Amino acid sequence: MPNNKTRIRADFTARGRKAVLALSSAITLLLAAPHPALAQQQDIPRLPNGHPDFSGIWQTLSEADYDLEPHSGRRDAPPSAGVVAGGNLPYRAEALSQRQANFANRAKDDPRLKCWTLGVPRSVYYPAPFQIFERERDITLVHQFGHQVRTINTNGTGHPKDIDEPYWLGDSRGHWEGDTLVVDVTEFNDETWLDRAGNYHSEDLHVVEKWSFVDRDTIRYSATIDDPKVYAKPWNLSVLLNRRRDDNFQLIEDYCFTLPYDNYYPHKEGK
Amino acid sequence: MRTAIQTTAAILAVALAGAAASAQPAAPAATERSQVPAGSGLRFVSSFTPVKAGAWTGKRRRDGQPDVEGHWSNLIANHSNWTDPQAGPPGEPSKQAGLPREQRAPSRVVDPADGQVPYTPAARALQKDFEAHFSNPDLPRYIEPLARCAPAGVPKSFIWHGYEIRQYPGYVVLLFNSGTRIIKLDQSPHLPPQIKLWNADSRGHWEGNTLVVSTTNSNGKALFGRTGDFASENAAIEERFIFDPDGKRYDYRATFTDPGVYTRPWTALIPARRYTEADEPDGWHYEVIAANRPGQPLLNEQPERICVENNGPFGGGAVGVPLDGPIIDR
Repeated sequence: MPNNKTRIRADFTARGRKAVLALSSAITLLLAAPHPALAQQQDIPRLPNGHPDFSGIWQTLSEADYDLEPHSGRRDAPPSAGVVAGGNLPYRAEALSQRQANFANRAKDDPRLKCWTLGVPRSVYYPAPFQIFERERDITLVHQFGHQVRTINTNGTGHPKDIDEPYWLGDSRGHWEGDTLVVDVTEFNDETWLDRAGNYHSEDLHVVEKWSFVDRDTIRYSATIDDPKVYAKPWNLSVLLNRRRDDNFQLIEDYCFTLPYDNYYPHKEGK
Repeated sequence: MRTAIQTTAAILAVALAGAAASAQPAAPAATERSQVPAGSGLRFVSSFTPVKAGAWTGKRRRDGQPDVEGHWSNLIANHSNWTDPQAGPPGEPSKQAGLPREQRAPSRVVDPADGQVPYTPAARALQKDFEAHFSNPDLPRYIEPLARCAPAGVPKSFIWHGYEIRQYPGYVVLLFNSGTRIIKLDQSPHLPPQIKLWNADSRGHWEGNTLVVSTTNSNGKALFGRTGDFASENAAIEERFIFDPDGKRYDYRATFTDPGVYTRPWTALIPARRYTEADEPDGWHYEVIAANRPGQPLLNEQPERICVENNGPFGGGAVGVPLDGPIIDR
């Protein structure tokens, strides 16, 4: 079982990178002044405490899940200019071969094909709806695909000091910077991919997400990906999430990992 | 939940803790535990006082809903045995199984009065067939689906591990150990009847202290327990979550109507209690970890609950379900 693996962390390195990442985020914030997210938007839903209320059902229209990088149309992916700032992912030379192997075997090895948990950020831009439930203390994301429920804690708590084993969806701690929700996600396992093209990460993955309204029915979602084992430097992706406004739209559970055996139930004679 | 092996270990640990506790003469502080017969396991009681439906006099949420958020778990036993909850699973009788029946928790079936599910003869035969093969499953259909980390569905989710209730305007959300239910509190129509789901499709509303939920679209695949009790995909289920305004207890009552399987509608009762920071996390009823907030009072939070078997079929290895390779083509 994958989860029996011992987790080995290069703690010193990881912490150092986190500090650099935090600093670069701060500089970005300063240089981008006036930061659009810091200006109060008028026409967006808000909780009683004034923070933006992302409650609702969301889904990307982007092609991000097919391949984060720019690509022509091919048998298993529509064309796309990509969603990564700068175009291509800054793989370390030694990590690129794994990515190439993943790409070659993607029709068999993509975890999505087994309905496994997709991880973060992939669960956000996988092309299926997910529902956000928001309280002051936390934000719950329930994804239609597979069994994926993530809680983003916004109550000022830190990442857990000690967990039994790393998480599929990571541990999410969020805070507000104006009208932007900034989420620090750590404690990942290395079982998930970033897209159908085999882009991947290690257990050292560290994601910083930013969620903000473009308008009341559109969220801009961006993520800074840092993973020193796989990437030479942190990189950014950005997609839009659209509110599902179809009549009576609701999530329809899609626990497709049960498909290989669900035909045996309930009791059926002759099987 | 991590692996099936660890889950089994947790059950054993609970049982052993109970046995150890019963070997000690005292520790009667917890009223519930004081009612537990010897060897019945940690925090499972054999008797309880039902919660009455009525007015809600407790705390309300901003949107007017009774505030029932938090961690909850059932009082009397897990899903080993539906109608004799403390007797143990088929083929593995518990220590209490030899005691007079009245010394164990009552059947979860409260109507009819005999405590039995009123199956048609054909449906009873199917349930008995599963029960007889449970401990030695030689066909895939004899593997309890929850062993593969299928969602526990209705009603078994309420007799599996502890779970969390979160409330929002227009919704009550149930986060189970295996699966999630979103109960919509509106008048929108149910999903089309062709759609069948492990956790069914729910519409609810509040009547005083009671959350009344109309539940349809169940796929009938999540058995009620290791005894193989079941409903079909045609079942109509009316669930009533009756909360004590003191916030400490609630009763789950569900009436199953399914003429193809039962000779008459029948009603189940599953008592539950709240767990708070005053309780010790126990890996079963109250699966939480302490939030990281130094210098502040204890706050427990739920760690990620993703069944490892969701990410690689566990039970499948035993009886020919593919272990690897694509499951979907989309």
